[in-house]
Formats: sequence, C-alpha cells, structure tokens
Amino acid sequence: MALTSHDPIPTSELDGAVRDYSRDKVYVLTALFLGLVTVVEILTYAFPDFPAWSGNLVIAVLMILMAVKFFTVVYIFMHLRFDKPLLSWVFWSGLVLAACVYMVMLCTFRIFWPGQHG
Amino acid sequence: MASAVQTHESVAAADAHAAHAHIDHDTNTGISNTKLGMWLFLASECLLFGGLITTYLLYKHPLEGPTPKQIFDIPFTSTSSFVLLMSSLTMVLAVSAIERGDHQRLRIWLGATALLGATFISGQIYEFTAFVREGLGFTTSRFSSAFYTLTGFHGVHVTVGIIMLVSLVLLSLRGKLPEHRSETVEIIGLYWHFVDVVWIFIFAVVYLIP
Amino acid sequence: MAIIEAPPTEQLALTGTVESDYKPAGVFTRPKSGGTGWKSWLTTVDHKKIGIMYGATALVFLLIGGFEAILIRVQLWSPRGTLLSANAYNQVFTMHGTTMVFLVVMPIGAAFANYLMPLQIGARDVAYPRINAYSYWMFLFGGLLLNSSWLLGGGADGGWFNYAPNNGVLYSPSHGIDFWNMGLFITGIASLAGAVNLIVTVLNMRAPGMSLMRMPVFTWMTLVTQFLLLFAIPVLTVAQVLLMMDRLFDANFFNVAKGANPLLWEHLFWIFGHPEVYLMILPAFGLVSDMLPVFSRKPIFGYPFIVFSGVAIGFMGWGVWAHHMFVSGIGPISVTAFSLTTMFIAVPTGVKILNWTATMWGGKLRFTTPMLFSIGLVTMFTIGGLSGVTHSVAPADTQQTDTYYIVAHFHYVLFGGAFFGFIGGFYFYWPKVFGYMLNEKLGKYNFWLMLLGFNLTFAPMHILGLQGMSRRIYTYDAGYGFDLWNKVATIGAFILASSVFLFIFNIFYSRAKAKSLPPVGPDPWDARTIEWMIPSPVPEYNFDPIPTVTRVDDFWYRKYGETKDGKLVRIAATEDVVQQRSDGKHIHLPSPSYWPLVAAFGMPIIGYGLIFNLWLCLIGGIIVVGGLFGWALEPPDDPDAAHADHDPVAHGSDDGSAAEGDTVGVTEKEVEPVG
Repeated sequence: MALTSHDPIPTSELDGAVRDYSRDKVYVLTALFLGLVTVVEILTYAFPDFPAWSGNLVIAVLMILMAVKFFTVVYIFMHLRFDKPLLSWVFWSGLVLAACVYMVMLCTFRIFWPGQHG
Repeated sequence: MASAVQTHESVAAADAHAAHAHIDHDTNTGISNTKLGMWLFLASECLLFGGLITTYLLYKHPLEGPTPKQIFDIPFTSTSSFVLLMSSLTMVLAVSAIERGDHQRLRIWLGATALLGATFISGQIYEFTAFVREGLGFTTSRFSSAFYTLTGFHGVHVTVGIIMLVSLVLLSLRGKLPEHRSETVEIIGLYWHFVDVVWIFIFAVVYLIP
Repeated sequence: MAIIEAPPTEQLALTGTVESDYKPAGVFTRPKSGGTGWKSWLTTVDHKKIGIMYGATALVFLLIGGFEAILIRVQLWSPRGTLLSANAYNQVFTMHGTTMVFLVVMPIGAAFANYLMPLQIGARDVAYPRINAYSYWMFLFGGLLLNSSWLLGGGADGGWFNYAPNNGVLYSPSHGIDFWNMGLFITGIASLAGAVNLIVTVLNMRAPGMSLMRMPVFTWMTLVTQFLLLFAIPVLTVAQVLLMMDRLFDANFFNVAKGANPLLWEHLFWIFGHPEVYLMILPAFGLVSDMLPVFSRKPIFGYPFIVFSGVAIGFMGWGVWAHHMFVSGIGPISVTAFSLTTMFIAVPTGVKILNWTATMWGGKLRFTTPMLFSIGLVTMFTIGGLSGVTHSVAPADTQQTDTYYIVAHFHYVLFGGAFFGFIGGFYFYWPKVFGYMLNEKLGKYNFWLMLLGFNLTFAPMHILGLQGMSRRIYTYDAGYGFDLWNKVATIGAFILASSVFLFIFNIFYSRAKAKSLPPVGPDPWDARTIEWMIPSPVPEYNFDPIPTVTRVDDFWYRKYGETKDGKLVRIAATEDVVQQRSDGKHIHLPSPSYWPLVAAFGMPIIGYGLIFNLWLCLIGGIIVVGGLFGWALEPPDDPDAAHADHDPVAHGSDDGSAAEGDTVGVTEKEVEPVG
C-alpha cells in the first residue's frame, strides 16, 4: 500500500507525475464511449422486454453499465489511471468505505423489516 | 505537468515554469498539496452522497402521493444527464488546452463547460417545478423529501462548480491564469468530474432502476 | 507548498514573469507578520498559535461542560432533587455531553495535533495555514452558537445523540435542537477542513528522512484520527441535513406517519458516532505512547505493532456501530454480527495496553506528573475497556443499555482514557509551548486528586447501573437503594472539579514562579522525539535548519548510543545537539490574514438565519462569499512583508504555486472561490 512506502520519492522523478498521454483524441473517444453506454442505459427503459435485460436482470445490467461509466470518468477524465497510486488509494478508501457501511445499513433494514421498504 | 510541452514560451518563462513545477511537487509523496487535498475531499464526499442515496433507496416507495414511476420523465432526464456527461469532455479539453498553453481554447472550453452545467441546472429547475405542479411537493411523502434533498444537494454542487468555472474564465481573461497554474484548472476539473460521476450514479440508481 | 525557502537561483529566473504589483483586494490592509498583540491572534496562520487557541477555548468549554456536570450531580444528590426541573435536566445533560465531546475532547485533540504534529515531522507549518485558521474560527463560532441556545430559549434536550423521533418538533418544540444542529454543522466543517489539512501535512511535508515508519506515534495517531474525521463527519452531516429538513422545512425523514423509519437516524448517527469515539481516544493514546518511553528511558515496545494496532482500531471502528443499537430491534442477524465485530476490536486495543506495559517493564521509571497521568490512562482505560467488552455480549448489553453502567463505561474510557492522556500531555508539553514547567508538586497533587475524584464519581455508577438506575432520569425515589452511591458520586464530582481548578491554578502559579527560575531549555525531560531539539517556547519558524531524520526517536539517538551489549551511553551533551534560537529572517513564513476570520464569521449568521429568519442567511451568505473571494484573491504570502534578504520579486514567485492551495481550500468548503 502506497501509504506505508518508506522513503520519500526523489525529486527527479516528480516531474512526470502526470505521465504524457495523447490527450484530446483519447478524451473524445472516451466521451463517445460514454455516450454509447448511456444510449444502452436509455434503451433498457425504452424497451423493457428486450431479453438481455428482461425482468430483474435489468438491475444488474444497469449497475454494470453505471460502474463502467463511473470508472471510465474517474480513471480517464480524472486521470487516476495516470496519476500516483496514492490518489487511487485515497479515493478507493472513501468509495469502498461508503459502499460497505451503507450496504450493511440497508441490509439491517431489509433483513428485519421485509416488505415495508422493499 | 512539467512534461507538458511549452512551445509558446520564452526561455526565461520556461525556467520559471520548471521552478514552479519543482515547488509544486517538492513534497514527500510527489503529489502537490492541493491535488492531494482535493482527492481527500472527494473521498469524503463519497460518504456524504452515499448517505443521501441510501436514504433515498430506503424511502423510494411513498405511502401517498405520486410514485417515482408515475412522475419521472426519463427522456427529459436522459437528455440533461447527457448534457452533464458531455460537460466532462469539455472540462478535460480545457485542462488539456492550458497544459499546451492555449489560453484562447482554455476559455472556450471552460465557458462551454459552465454553459453545459447551467443547462443541466436549468433542466433540474424545470423538472422540479413540473413535479411540484404534478403534486409532488417537498413535504408530500417520504419519497419526495428524499428525492428533492438528494438531487438538490447535487444541484448545489453543480452550481458551486459553475461559479468556480466562471471565476476561472474571468481570471484567465485578466491574465492571472498562466500555464504554470494549470493545476488550478485541473483540480477544479477533478471536482467537476466528481459531480458528474455522482450524477451517473444517481441517474442509474434513482431514475432508471425500476 | 505554501512555505518554502526559495533558493536565490529561482529568484533570478523568475524576474519579469511574475506579478509583483499585487494590490490588496479588499477593505483590509494586510496584517503584518510577527506581531504580538491581540490582533496577531485574530489574524494568525501560525499552527502553534492556532493550537494554543484550540486548547484555551477547549478549557473554557470544559468549565462550562463541567459546571453542567456538577448541576447534574447536585440534582441527583438525594431522592426527589429539586435543583433542576425535568425539562432543565434534559437540557443540562444533553449540553454536557455535546459540549464535552465536540467542544472539549475533540478540540483538545485538535490542539495537540495542530501544535505538535508539524513539529514532530519537522515541518514549518501545516499544508494550508489559512484553512487552519479558518478551522479554528469555525470551531469557535460553532461552539458559541451552540451555547448561545441557553440565552435564546433553552438548549437541546434529546441527549447528545438526539434520537429520532424524539428530536422532531413534536417532541422537542424549542429551538434547542436546531441550535445543536447548526452548531455541529459549523464545527463539522471545521473538523473536515482540519482533517484534509492535517492529512496532507503528514503525507506531504515531512522532513528529509522522516519516513512514515519513523514518525512519532502521536503523529501516526493524528493521521488515523484525521482519516476517521474525514470519513465520519460527512455521515453526521447527512443525518443533520435530514434532521434540519425535518425540523425547519417539514420534510418526512423521521415522520413515522408518512412511513419514515427513525432507525435511519440512529444508524447514521452511530456510523458517525463510533468512529467518533475512537477519534477522541486515539490522540491521547498517541500522547501516552510518546510519554511512556521518555519516562521509562526505553524505546516504545513494538513500534510497528503500536502503529498498526492504531490503524486497525481506526479501520475496525467502522464495523461496530450497531452495538449502540442492540435493543432497538435491528434483528438477530445484525445483533450477532455486530456483537462479534465488537469483541474483535478489543484485540488491537489489548495490543496497545500490552505494548505500554512492556515499555515500562524493566525501564528506569521516573514518576513525573506526565508519567503518572500516562499510567493513569493505561489503568483507567483498561477498566473502561473491560466494561466495554461486557457491552459487546448482546444479552448482557440488553440489561445494561440506558443505565448508569453505560455512563460509567464511557466516562472511564473518555475521562479516564482521553482526558487523563490530555492532562498528562499538557504537563509534558507545557515547557515546550510556554517556556516554563508546571509545578511538579502541585501536578502530583493534581493527579492523585483527579484519580480519587474520578473513581469516586464513576466507579459507583457501575453499581447503580446494575441496580437498575436509568441514565437521563432527572430523579429517583427513596427506597430504590440508589441514595448511597449517588451521594458518593456527587462527592467525587466535587473532588474532580477541584482537581481541574488545581490544574488551572497550577498554570498561573507556575507562571508567576517561573520568573525567578532559570529558563527550561529545549529538552527538560530528556526526551526522544525531534520537537524537543528546538528552543522552548518554539520560535515562529520551528526548525532552523530542518533536521534530517535517520530513525525512530531520532533526537534520543543524537544524545545516546548503545554499546554492544545494549547498554545506553551518552554520546553527546544535550546542549550540543539542540538547535539555537536564530533570528529566522531568512525563513519565509505564510503571512497572517483577516479573511479566514471573516469567512468563518458569516457561518453562524447563516445558522441563526435558518432558525429565525431566512433573510439573515442572505447577510451571512454575503459575508461568507465575500470572505472567500477576498481570501482567494489574496496571495498566501504578503509581497510587502519585509524580510531582510528577500527582494519583493521572490515573494511573487511564491504566489503562483501557493495560491493554488486556496482554490482547493475554497472548493473543500463548497463555496465559490476564485482560482
């Protein structure tokens, strides 16, 4: 874990903190990709009976699509992919912690009071 | 940042750039204080929005008044979601522009981002007024309270972002935003993208999942 | 970094590219650095002054909270007490708890973190000095707003955790809980800004060679504490937003008639609340881990274990919150799961206790006042920890919930734990901060009096609780068998109060005496960590030069070496390894500023506005926004500030990089900044 790395990083390595990558083209392609995923998301609403997401499957499909969009923005647009790993650790710790505690909290409600909030 | 190519600069300015880059990154982790601080703040925001979204999930089935299925206008919200999504593209293009030293494009893209954000907010205001007309007041049901609080909180975040973007444009016009301060744009960009990913989550979980 | 010592070459390179024609953006002329009057405290961005202000403010709130405690104990002195009505009693215990948690224990932790942590890692200041000042002012204004409720219709009356639906307008029609809400919003922003600030400081601003695993334990515990704050405060904020919407704008978050579930509040509050109890105790653990080795003349036993057990406590603290809710009907599965996690969290705590004991084992103990308080913490906290384990057993907890047994438990961990550690820390660091020692003889009386009073007050509460006396009940009938132990507890409370006054007396007494004594010097305790190698009181610039650190307890090993068979030998006189006071003219420090104070001042006005009249919000909002714009437009370093060998251009060079610090600072607070 980056948090416990022992030695400060030598200054000579710091200049490339954001590594070079061919920017604008990647960005536009990423945006196109995000747009496409959004279109699929909306299709699940427009055609609810399509076999790929019929019934309760639609929840799983939508969550996966949402996660794909979420991490595409975070890793490309917020360039977490190209930045120091410590930043990923910081963000993931907040995200995972939030997901865990709130999921557990929702579980305590559902397990004990089925039906009322379902 | 320092590795960004500066073709428009004099040698002296390039030295200055290097000196600044050195100052920015002269930290134990190699990450500037500002950027690390912003990511810490965003990590903390995950807990904030997580709590509001959880509250919504708990309360999304009202005992009285309109239900989400009756009231949501998915085509409309899809459009405004798409607008916010594209504002993330213009935001990264702005960051990319200032790193190249292209101040004209920087202002154009920042302005476009702010405009797209403002479009989203107008859409939200329109949506809220439409919902109220259809009988979904803030105090109508547990669903309405949770919905307005969650999306309203997000809207406030977008509004703060717009004000920051406009301020950046004004600073740039006054020449107070040289290349060596490109990190300022980058960091406000981080905030903007975060607000966008929160909406990606809200759009799927609140609007689309039946 | 906001604070740098720019080497001359960079100054030359920058000529002509920077704006040195800065005009102050607002109504104020920039305050000058290095002042000493009251104004210098209002505008300071120095982490040491801010730390002292945190400590002093917390001590004032301690007197208020302590007075409330005495009222409670006098009311319970005998059956059918008449000092307080039931309503007044509700307000007094609620405000006692809230004050002690949010305005005493947390800020004292912040005081030590602010003052000590930058010194322990060899930094000039924190990462964002002005945000640090802003945090303090927000804390102060939040605390004042909270306590102003006494004058404006009565305090909050729902207990410090204000359970729903009891916190709704229906059951609590006064504005007390609104004040509670607004006050804690504001102190919450202070804590959040402080958390970001201090985490960045620890991660980014360590002296050369100060790797994470060479940091003093207190700095480690500060890091863990601030991470807990970073993630816990937003959860409280969510709960408070929901409550505010309910109370002020008729929302339905806790309105059972509309199908709301009051357990939502209890979950959110304790998801925040349990990390909160660990973030109150961990700074004291850190202080004790630094004090015990000094007075045992041994390194801390198992440094990595004590560090990682602290991290583990911080981590596991997120998985135990529902043990506060065993009787609220969360269901057998939840109860079992949280019961288990709660038992597990005793393990890292046990590791710490073992390490402290082993540190003292075989050491050359010196029973100074800080040492006595440290041992006090270890023993008293162990008692509190053991009673805590009894709560984790759900069937037993069902009997104990909402009785005085719980009150006894959390006072043993928070008073016997955190507070003993803090008072010990005050005695230990007083010479470093103020340049004179607190009187040792009075200090020892202070300790024994406090230990006696503490145990007389809270030990009987175990018995009262097991006898069935409920907490938060304003009186009891004769014949319940509660009389004797309540009397003992009340006597204990007065002894405890006198020990606090003895501490305050000691401060003034020692200060008067100090004039006739020789100055204390940098290292009065023969200590181990690098903050003891700089002059006392600490000069504004902290270190000159910044030391290079080679190992844990670096300063100690500049003084002492070890022979082959492990015997300690002195290798250098203390006078030769400490730093001399320099004029510090060549060190560039961040300039003081009015803006944090201005920006913070608008917040309580918004708070009052939400409660009384929304127009006030507009005024407060304008002040906040204006303050933040002024802040953002003002460079962190004053170009006009005169430093002997700095030409104005060089100051300009700092602006560009450091001004970015502001942008983030402003965005953190979610209000409008300018780049």
